[in-house]
Amino acid sequence: MELLLFDAFNGLIVGFFYALMALGLSLILGLNSVINFAHGGFMALGGYLAFTLVPIIGFWGALILAPFAAAALGILAERGLIRPLYGRDPLYSLLLTFGLALILEDITRTVWGAQGLPFAIPNFLNHPLNNVYFFVTGYRVFVVIVTAIATAGLFAVLRFTRLGICIRAGNADLETVASLGVNIYFLRGANFALGILLAGLAGILAAGQLGLTPTMGSSLIMPSFVAIIVGGAGSLIGSLLGGLIIGVAAGITTAYFPSASEVVIYLIMAFVLMVRPRGLLGQEGLFE
Amino acid sequence: MSSLLEAEGLQAYYGKSHILHGVSLTVAEGEVVTLLGRNGAGKTTTLRAIMGLTPPREGHVRIGGVAVTGWPTHRIAQSGVGYVPEGRRMFRHLTVEENLRVPPPTQGRWSLTAIFSLFPRLAERRTSKAGRLSGGEQEMLAISRALLLNPRLLLLDEPSQGLAPVIVDEVMRAVQRMRDEGTAILLVEQNAILALAFADRAYVLSDGAITHAGPAAELAADSEKVKALAGARASRAA
Repeated sequence: MELLLFDAFNGLIVGFFYALMALGLSLILGLNSVINFAHGGFMALGGYLAFTLVPIIGFWGALILAPFAAAALGILAERGLIRPLYGRDPLYSLLLTFGLALILEDITRTVWGAQGLPFAIPNFLNHPLNNVYFFVTGYRVFVVIVTAIATAGLFAVLRFTRLGICIRAGNADLETVASLGVNIYFLRGANFALGILLAGLAGILAAGQLGLTPTMGSSLIMPSFVAIIVGGAGSLIGSLLGGLIIGVAAGITTAYFPSASEVVIYLIMAFVLMVRPRGLLGQEGLFE
Repeated sequence: MSSLLEAEGLQAYYGKSHILHGVSLTVAEGEVVTLLGRNGAGKTTTLRAIMGLTPPREGHVRIGGVAVTGWPTHRIAQSGVGYVPEGRRMFRHLTVEENLRVPPPTQGRWSLTAIFSLFPRLAERRTSKAGRLSGGEQEMLAISRALLLNPRLLLLDEPSQGLAPVIVDEVMRAVQRMRDEGTAILLVEQNAILALAFADRAYVLSDGAITHAGPAAELAADSEKVKALAGARASRAA
C-alpha cells in the first residue's frame, strides 16, 4: 500500500511538470496557433539557466530570474522565426519548432555538456516531512505550492488584466481584436513569452527533482501533448487536469507493471479519444 | 468639405477571386454615407479593405489625409476608425464588460460610463456572457466596443441584419446620437430604404465597382432604382 502511494505521489509530482508544460503549450496553441515542439527545449533551457544562475544569485533568485530569461529567449524566437509563418499552413510552424527543439537540445549539450548535472536545492527542502510517508519531501510539497501559485497567477492574469482579456478574446477571433485597435503582433509575442515562462519554471522545478540532462525536454514534451489531448484542446483547466491524470496513471502503473509506465499514457489518450473525442473539458467540434 | 476617408481605386482579392475592381469613395468629416448593393457585390470587402483586413492589392486608403494603405489593422483602427463587423463578432465567452475592455483606452467623449448611459441595457448585463445577449444587445455591444476607440469614422456593416424592426429603430437611434456628436459614418446595408432615410450620400456597388454615387434623397426618390439595387429585401420593406 505504501509502495502504491509512493508511486502515485511520484507520478503526481511529475504530473505537475506535465501540467505546467501543457498550460504553456495550450496558451501558445490557442492564440499563436502554433504546435510548439520547442517547448521542451525551452523548459530544459530554464533548468540549465537556473543551474548557471544559482552560484551567482542563489536558488531563490534563480527560481525567479531563470523563467524570465527563458521567456526572453522565447520572445526572440517568436519575433525572428515564428512571426513570418503566422497565417500560413500550421505545418510550417510545426516543422520550424521541431527543428528549433533539436537546436535547443544541442545548444544545451554544447554549453553544459552531455552528462547529466545535479541541481542543488536548499537543504531544508530535502528532508521528508514525516517518517512514515518518507517520500513526501519538502521539495515535493514545494513543487506543488509553486505550481499552484503559478497556475493561480496565470488564471488571474487571464481573468483580470487587459492583456489576459485580449488573449482570451484573441483565442476566439484575433482579426476582430486587431480591428479594435489592439496590436496583435505584441499580443502574440506576449502570449508566447507567457507560455515559455511556465515552461522555464517547469524546467527548474523538474531539475530539482529529476536532475538536468539535455534530453529532459524531449522526454517531457510528448506526455505534455498527451495531457492537452486528454484534458481537451482549448481548455486550460483541461490541460492542467490532463497533466495530473497521466502523471498519476504513469506513477501507479510503475508500481505494478514498471515496463508499461510509458505506454499507459498513450492508452489513456486512445481511450479518451474513442469515448470523448474532444477530451475531458475540450470545446465541442475541435477534433470531432 | 475636407475628406476624412478617401478610398481610391481599390482592387481586392480573396485568394484568386477578384472581388473589388477599382472602388473609389469618400466620406467627409461628420458625414453619413451609405454603401448599397446586392449580396456579394463587395460591400463587406470594401470595408475590410479600408481596415486592412483584406489589404487591397492596388489603390490607396487615406484617413484624414494620411495614407494608411498597407498599415496593420490595429494602426488603422487607432488612427480613428471604428469597425462594427458583419454578424457583430462578439467574444461570446467573455462578459459584456470584458468585451468592452479589449479596445485600448483612449481619451475623448466615449468612456465606459458614457457607453453605459447610451445603452443602459448593457450596464445591466455587464457581467453576462456576450453570447447570451439578444441580437439587439449584441449589436449595441459591437457598436460600443468600436466607440471606445473614440473614432472619427465609424464603419457599420449591416447593423440591421437579423434584428426585429423595433430593435433596428433603437440601434439606429444610437447611431443617430453618434452622428449628432460629429462622428462620420460609412453604413453598409441590405435594407436600402432604411439606409437612404438615414444617410446624406449614397454609393451603389455592383460586381465590385461603384455604379452610382449621389445624394441619398435623390436615390431614395427613384423607387425603381431602389428596387433594382436592393432586390427583394427593399420591396418587402416598402
